[in-house]
Amino acid sequence: MSLYALQKLIRDVNRKPACRDAFFQSAEKFSAAYDLTPDERAALTGMNVRKLYALGVHGLLLRPFTLLHEMPEPDYLKAIRGE
Amino acid sequence: MPISFACAVSHAPGMTAWANAAPQAQKDRIYGGFERLRRELDASGTQVLVLLTSEHWANFFLDHIGAFCVGRAASYRGPIEPWLQIEKTEIKGDPELAAELLETSYDEGIEPSFAYELEFDHGTMVPLHFLNPRMDRPVVPIFFNTLAVPQPTARRCLEFGRVIGKVAARSKQRIGLIATGGLSHDPGERNHGVIDTDFDQQFMSAMAGGNMDRLARYSRSELAAAGAGAFELLSWVALAGALAGRKGETIVYEAVKPWATGIGMMTFAQAAAA
Repeated sequence: MSLYALQKLIRDVNRKPACRDAFFQSAEKFSAAYDLTPDERAALTGMNVRKLYALGVHGLLLRPFTLLHEMPEPDYLKAIRGE
Repeated sequence: MPISFACAVSHAPGMTAWANAAPQAQKDRIYGGFERLRRELDASGTQVLVLLTSEHWANFFLDHIGAFCVGRAASYRGPIEPWLQIEKTEIKGDPELAAELLETSYDEGIEPSFAYELEFDHGTMVPLHFLNPRMDRPVVPIFFNTLAVPQPTARRCLEFGRVIGKVAARSKQRIGLIATGGLSHDPGERNHGVIDTDFDQQFMSAMAGGNMDRLARYSRSELAAAGAGAFELLSWVALAGALAGRKGETIVYEAVKPWATGIGMMTFAQAAAA
């Protein structure tokens, strides 16, 4: 269920402006409401895209999430490809 | 009445959002294809559109996923993407037709979910922008789960399409069908940018020939090999079911690298009118 919580958080940030604002104010505080493993929480708060993808976050959740972080496409692709 | 119009088109957001990234010659052929389809639709006297489209996490999440969802709202809004270069607008629905689609589906042993609230993203708005630019025809959207495993099988989509065709054919309204999605692409995934032209051509050939047996045999692994976005072609398979295997015509196929998608368009206008 943990991957579910991680993806739910990302989807909430992508789709809900209030969640987005709260996340960008404090990712640590915002993520406390979601049942994440320490690994997931670290990947999220550290914006470790390679790790988030490896953990199983769906590409159509992860790419919009990285766009909110203004991550260029080549950087995103390098990250998920592990290059 | 017989189905008044039928087509299948891609809905890559680049077609409106970053149109200038594509080579001019490809754009001319693609926009020319849309223009031909728009004229066919206008000439068909179609009163309402049933739009078979893909869910992209816009409306649904893993807290509740169904294989198909029929929109029964009186109106919808879209697009949700402010960057799509399509003005946000209201699109009328057709709750009565949606109810009939649902009741007939349940009677025939297929149970789609339904929703009174749905938002439209590029998967719905791009085809409507090109084919129904005045947004004057009511739309019944049917969303396919193309994201969350397991997606519906191609065989099931074909069966669902048969029900849609049955309802459309006996309606007093002139109903047009638009299937949208695909072709090969892998958005947000490792093979983003890879276009499998062989897969695309073979799939379109099966659609053009009304080859229901072949379409029903597209497996999840076969679709996945052409990229996560290839599951959107399940809506095309449903369209083939609605048209009962009638033949179509490929009017455009372009592998557009800057849009990271195999872009296809097919018309079944002649078949629909037959």
